[in-house]
Amino acid sequence: MKKVKLLTSILLVLALLTLSACGSDGNGESTNGEKVEKVVFAYLSFNNIPEDLTDIEEAINKVTREKINVEVDLKIYGPAEYEQRVNLAMQTGEKMDLFTTYGGFSSYVSRNQLYALNDLLEQYGQDTLNILEQDFGSDILNATTMNGNIYGIPVNKGFALPTTFVYDADVLAELGFNADDIDSLEDLPAIFEAVKKNKPGVVPFGPINVNPSDTYLMGWLIDTLKIDTLTDQSGVGVVIGDSGKVVNLYENEEFMNAAKMMRDWSEKGYLQKDAATTTIPTSEMIASGSAFSFMGGYSGMEAGAQLSAQMGKNIGTKRITEEYFDTSSVNSVVWMMSSTTKVPEAAMKFLNLAFTDKFVLNTLLYGIEGRDYVVVDEHHVKFPDGKSAMDVPFTAQLSTGLLGSESLQYQLEGMNREDVELKLRENKETARSPYFGFIFDQDEVKTEMSAINNVKNQYLPGLITGALDPETTIPKFVKALKDAGADRVIKAKQEQLDQWLAQQ
Amino acid sequence: MFKKIRLQSRSKATFSLFLLAVPGLIYLLINNYLPMFGVFIAFKDIDYVKGLFGSDWSGFKNFEFLFRTNDAWIMTRNTILYNLAFIFIGTIVAIIIAIFLYELKNKLATKLFQSSILFPNLVSMVIVSYLVYAFLASDSGLINLSILRSLGIEEINWYAESKYWPYILTVTYLWKTAGYTSIVYFAFIAGIDKSYYEAAKIDGAGKLRQIFSVTLPLLKPAVILMVLLAVGRIFNSDFGLFYQVPLNSGALYSTTQTIDTYVYRALMQMNDIGMSAAAGFYQSVVGLVLVLIANKLVKRADPDNALF
Repeated sequence: MKKVKLLTSILLVLALLTLSACGSDGNGESTNGEKVEKVVFAYLSFNNIPEDLTDIEEAINKVTREKINVEVDLKIYGPAEYEQRVNLAMQTGEKMDLFTTYGGFSSYVSRNQLYALNDLLEQYGQDTLNILEQDFGSDILNATTMNGNIYGIPVNKGFALPTTFVYDADVLAELGFNADDIDSLEDLPAIFEAVKKNKPGVVPFGPINVNPSDTYLMGWLIDTLKIDTLTDQSGVGVVIGDSGKVVNLYENEEFMNAAKMMRDWSEKGYLQKDAATTTIPTSEMIASGSAFSFMGGYSGMEAGAQLSAQMGKNIGTKRITEEYFDTSSVNSVVWMMSSTTKVPEAAMKFLNLAFTDKFVLNTLLYGIEGRDYVVVDEHHVKFPDGKSAMDVPFTAQLSTGLLGSESLQYQLEGMNREDVELKLRENKETARSPYFGFIFDQDEVKTEMSAINNVKNQYLPGLITGALDPETTIPKFVKALKDAGADRVIKAKQEQLDQWLAQQ
Repeated sequence: MFKKIRLQSRSKATFSLFLLAVPGLIYLLINNYLPMFGVFIAFKDIDYVKGLFGSDWSGFKNFEFLFRTNDAWIMTRNTILYNLAFIFIGTIVAIIIAIFLYELKNKLATKLFQSSILFPNLVSMVIVSYLVYAFLASDSGLINLSILRSLGIEEINWYAESKYWPYILTVTYLWKTAGYTSIVYFAFIAGIDKSYYEAAKIDGAGKLRQIFSVTLPLLKPAVILMVLLAVGRIFNSDFGLFYQVPLNSGALYSTTQTIDTYVYRALMQMNDIGMSAAAGFYQSVVGLVLVLIANKLVKRADPDNALF
């Protein structure tokens, strides 16, 4: 088993490293008399990652040496290995000062892996505080504050991801419909029926993600019912609206109705028979002309253009819900500092630049000007002539949503700048849950959580793709969750929430 | 005096052999023995500021998640039953293949069959899962599309019906591994002294008689050895077979969940090394106990063939 093997190697490396790890903290040469401190910064790239990053590091260091007397050591990992590599580094005592996570924030806190940033932000992060306030509002750091300590800085971007219906626009037009005909899920069956009748061989609707299959039905429910997931994606223990009462979402009648609707769609043939287990995401099927639509959460209005480019089709998008901010809408991507860092001040200074310095941020994303990209105008860049993301020496252009401040990032040529402004406006205008800022500490119930994850994997994909009959399956699902300790999780959440409310 | 010289010369002879074994021993030491110190992690509540050694002891708390749910029974049952079936059927099939291979007198044919039955063993489980999918996919799979439909039988949604999976997984397992194990038995059979067969022939034994009275009895030590080794891993399962091949389909958990897949699914999001270590430790301890028991049983029945 992978985990166990990983553990073996961790231990081996550990045994070798404990002897040699002490003493080496890489503080090297000095300019202007002071020691230049070295910070390790690990980020995630979906593009090709070159072996040698020294030219990027040097380009950044030239600026950072002068501004903050810090040099950076970049580590870039792909999405499949990022979390493991960061954890391995921390377990073996390798230097790892700044890193990010996708959705794992609170477990880093409960394992005591994070450095509290309160004083550092005050001293070296004023620019960051300003830009966060400007782009979202000062309440953003509530989403990364536990027990009064600020443990991280959320990536600063458009957070509103309302449920969006994504479809093949050419097919829609061919069937005689247009985007105005779609306002809610109830409008879709009529269109699906037309697809089925007029386009044999085209599946009307499918899951956005596979293995496990996800039709985004839960995302839709969360938006429409104004559900606060209390920073736990299991769905066991949520608050609906402002009731203040923690309940099991899967026992809710609305979940039953939503699952019944999917079952109905599935029985009418709007979804593939094996939608629950298919290995092909619907976007790929649309690309090959064998599917029509899916649902997902997208920010801004430019998603259609991006999806069109990816799939090679004319893709349309239509928002069908309004966003509702709970803590996890904001703290899924968080920048954090290791609790074992030897250079907290230097790391904070660098993190501050990564959020606020246009040059540093864009070099991390787009590489070296002239070689990896050329500037088109104030806000836009493109790849050098004849080059693409595939063959420039360096680009991490797909990581724009994971790094720094979106308002300072270049966009690729052709993207609409107004979209960024729209996203920032939505950041401020979107309704916040009354429990915005509450973070559930899973530590006391992690045994139950691991069992619940398993039960959820077993039943949920079948229910949200209509493969299973909700009338008979949901009672079984709820019972299995209870056996796995759902009640204990709900109780723990309620206690923590009450405590949190009392402190506010 | 005489004895001492003999001892010396013997140790001299073994010394060079020992030297040959040194790299392997070092590998074993580093790879298999050194990490054993890590078992203490299974009993720790890991706190990164305090470090691995400084973290608080947590008793058996890390083990709880393995036994907490009703799944505990299902996954343990699945793991053991599948492994027993694999050991039992797998051994029989491998021996049959080995005997067939041995009886083939044409050298070229032997090589050809050997290579082709060995081939599946080299295929990654991820690819196997797609091969199986090509057979079982509900809309486009070979079985539904070409066989069931043309026979007029109602199509089956294979990835939603757990009752078929014990057979599907067993067949997949045999297809993938029987060739490999049969090579081991083939080598044993090839090592059997030809004069036994000649003697049997003179006594008037036919092919079948030879197989049952010469080949199989002489193969017994090999079978016992292989089975004992397999029993030690009875609490482990081929992760790829149980996770990739059923495409991680929730509807199939009742017949495809094993301890390994449970641990993976439960801990994938949690990154908790204490709980992972606990799961690994639990599997190893049970495996050790089962090997000891199995060896004891063998010893009682047939002292010569016991492992130790």
